[in-house]
Amino acid sequence: MNTTENQGMLINSFEPKIVGFLCNWCSYAGADKAGATQAQYPPNVNIVKVMCSGRVDPQFVLKSFQEGADGVMILACHPGDCHYKEGNYRAAQRYQMLKVLLTQFGIEQERCFFDYVSAGESDKFVQLITQTVAKIKELGPLNLKVTV
Amino acid sequence: MKIGVYLCACGSNISDKINFQEIKVVVEKIENVAYVTNLDMMCSYEGLKDFEGHLRVHQPDRVIVAACSPRDHENTFMLAMGNAGINPYLMQMVNFREQLAWVTSDSDRATQKAIQLLKGACSRVVLHESLGKESIDLNSDVLIIGAGPAGLKAALTLAQADRRVTVVEKSPMMGGKAVRYEELFPKMECGPCMLEPLEAQIVHGPYAGNINLITLAEIIEVKGFFGNYIVKIKKNPRYVDIHNCIGCAECVNACPVSIDNEINFGMNKKKAMDFTFFGALPNATYIDMKSCLRSKGEDCQACQAACPIQGVVNLEDKEETIEKNVGAIILATGHSLYDVSKFPKLGYGHIEDVYTSMQFERMLSASGPTGKQIILKNGLEPKTVAIIHCVGSMDSHHAPYCSGVCCQSGFKYNYEFHHKLPGTKVYHLYKELVSPGKDSYGLYNSAVHNQDASFIRYNNIDDLEIDAHHGQKSLFYRDATGHKHRINLDMVVLLPAVVPNADSALLAQILDVGTDKMGFFEELHGIVDSTKSKVKGVYLAGSCQSPKDIKDSMTQGSAAAGNILSVLVPGRQLDIESITAWVIEEKCAGCKVCSSVCPYKAISFQEETKKSIINAVLCQGCGTCVAACPAEAIVGNFFTTEEIFAEIKGVLA
Repeated sequence: MNTTENQGMLINSFEPKIVGFLCNWCSYAGADKAGATQAQYPPNVNIVKVMCSGRVDPQFVLKSFQEGADGVMILACHPGDCHYKEGNYRAAQRYQMLKVLLTQFGIEQERCFFDYVSAGESDKFVQLITQTVAKIKELGPLNLKVTV
Repeated sequence: MKIGVYLCACGSNISDKINFQEIKVVVEKIENVAYVTNLDMMCSYEGLKDFEGHLRVHQPDRVIVAACSPRDHENTFMLAMGNAGINPYLMQMVNFREQLAWVTSDSDRATQKAIQLLKGACSRVVLHESLGKESIDLNSDVLIIGAGPAGLKAALTLAQADRRVTVVEKSPMMGGKAVRYEELFPKMECGPCMLEPLEAQIVHGPYAGNINLITLAEIIEVKGFFGNYIVKIKKNPRYVDIHNCIGCAECVNACPVSIDNEINFGMNKKKAMDFTFFGALPNATYIDMKSCLRSKGEDCQACQAACPIQGVVNLEDKEETIEKNVGAIILATGHSLYDVSKFPKLGYGHIEDVYTSMQFERMLSASGPTGKQIILKNGLEPKTVAIIHCVGSMDSHHAPYCSGVCCQSGFKYNYEFHHKLPGTKVYHLYKELVSPGKDSYGLYNSAVHNQDASFIRYNNIDDLEIDAHHGQKSLFYRDATGHKHRINLDMVVLLPAVVPNADSALLAQILDVGTDKMGFFEELHGIVDSTKSKVKGVYLAGSCQSPKDIKDSMTQGSAAAGNILSVLVPGRQLDIESITAWVIEEKCAGCKVCSSVCPYKAISFQEETKKSIINAVLCQGCGTCVAACPAEAIVGNFFTTEEIFAEIKGVLA
């Protein structure tokens, strides 16, 4: 077995832990819709429900990495669709700031993922979960050296 | 601390995929977990009885229900908690069905994930606190701004239910634009005949005692929130007591000053002391003080002297500020027409006999300048006319939407020409023709079958030009296929886009209600809640929300009233939601970041204490301020930072 194959096996056996922050009205409902359609996706993402993506304090993301998450997902209502008018814009702004902050902590920006999922977009939800799990598998486990 | 964990099998929807036995072994060892119990069909009548009975016997301090999505049955289980005498907020649901059993193919991995999610719930639920439902008193009186069709319909509906209503109208009369139309589409019914009985109900009907109509008035300040508004109204002097004036017109005859009649766009004259038009309600005159001799320093008292009733004409009438307490507000301020002078090529204002639809309506009206006669400035009848549709509408540089009502007006004018002046050539120039609804086809059909009518499609308003030379008016146009043509004509009627009223912006500011990019008041949701604004307690009715016809305005007026009747019930208190945010005063640094991010204007800054405070009635519990506060001085109930941290830690343990 050569080194490349060996690494390949390591990547494949690695099951990342991901925390997903989903808003009650759109993305969490989209996740429920995926359930109703019985679409199958990897079980690596543990969902933490918040009422609005605007509630997602950057600390939640840092805390997740500190507690051992290899990745974090923030899924919000589409622009213009926020149940609370503009919470998703706050979330999007904070995400931009977070990416800079994560780099400073030595965490790859790709480990924190942000997108919009409506209550009807179960397909998109499944696709994003599947892609993100694959992406984090590719990046490998997060070996966080600093204490957040 | 005793946590009771309930696992719902949901038939076999959950238990087929997730190994409850394995979960039980692991989860029973988690700190504070007293027991793990399997139940089936927990949301069913029997299931809820089992759940409640079990809670009563075991009296857990905290409860976890692992079942379907909380979006399905969180309320059901919260209710059961309450029935069992446990505060409902001491429960946490875990979504085993939609987000786990149904979407995970591997049973072992599903079970492992179930355990992780339960660990998250266990570490979070111990931090849950009992939340109470607080209530406050509500004022069930209503303020309606605007006495057009929408406002009047709302006022009557509310008054019939014994709500006290204040209707504030900026003009001297009721009925809005609609009462100025002689005949209404789609069935050519008489506008005043339909609206005046409604107006009469407002002032003299069996429920008129519940309605306070204030004319010549405007809103200058609104404070407070849903259920508890304090409104300041500026009432301009009318100089005539509307309740005691008998409408005899003696004062009008006595008035020595003749002025341009505003309601007829200066096309005829009226007196400085006069009615808006004959038949306008309230049936009382008013003085146009800027034209009255008294404003020029003369001591004219002709009107007062002529009035047969002592005290009805009050020349000393003054501006007043009236304060009202109300629970809800309906915005029914109507619309304006797009400023057609923005299209100088259409000749409006500098070529004779070019009218807007509103001016032409007055020409068709019995109370109009020509007494219903369609005549040109030179006194002759027109032989050839152009009706220009879509003036400003469906134009991304002007009004980027179809106004929806102008085509029906255009077809109505076609009908009027055809019947009043048979043989008149009528040219319709349009971008698109619309004729929706079950009643509109009649006028459309009569217009397209009028043998003297022609329909010409154009692409852009700039492709039209009205010109006048030596008394001959011509329309030069390029049709939709690019060909240029010329028509000689006598009269032009423009159908301008329906746009928001000029004062909408100021009212939006006073009430903190949003406007859309066109300037119409913004609804809570364009489809499911178009009668509510985004401010709780402020409702929208009529064309101030979106262009609409009289029928739809009336319907929306009723809907706004219905919405209010369902939430403002005398004697009933307002339950304040428990999932709201609050400020820990000692931690607040007074930086005001929270109030800048609150989408509901629920946070105010107290100058005395230099601290922010959150109004729990207005707070919708989104938690944006909680995330934004740099001092961690805001607590978001049920989603506290500590609770979410604990959940994160738990699911990753």
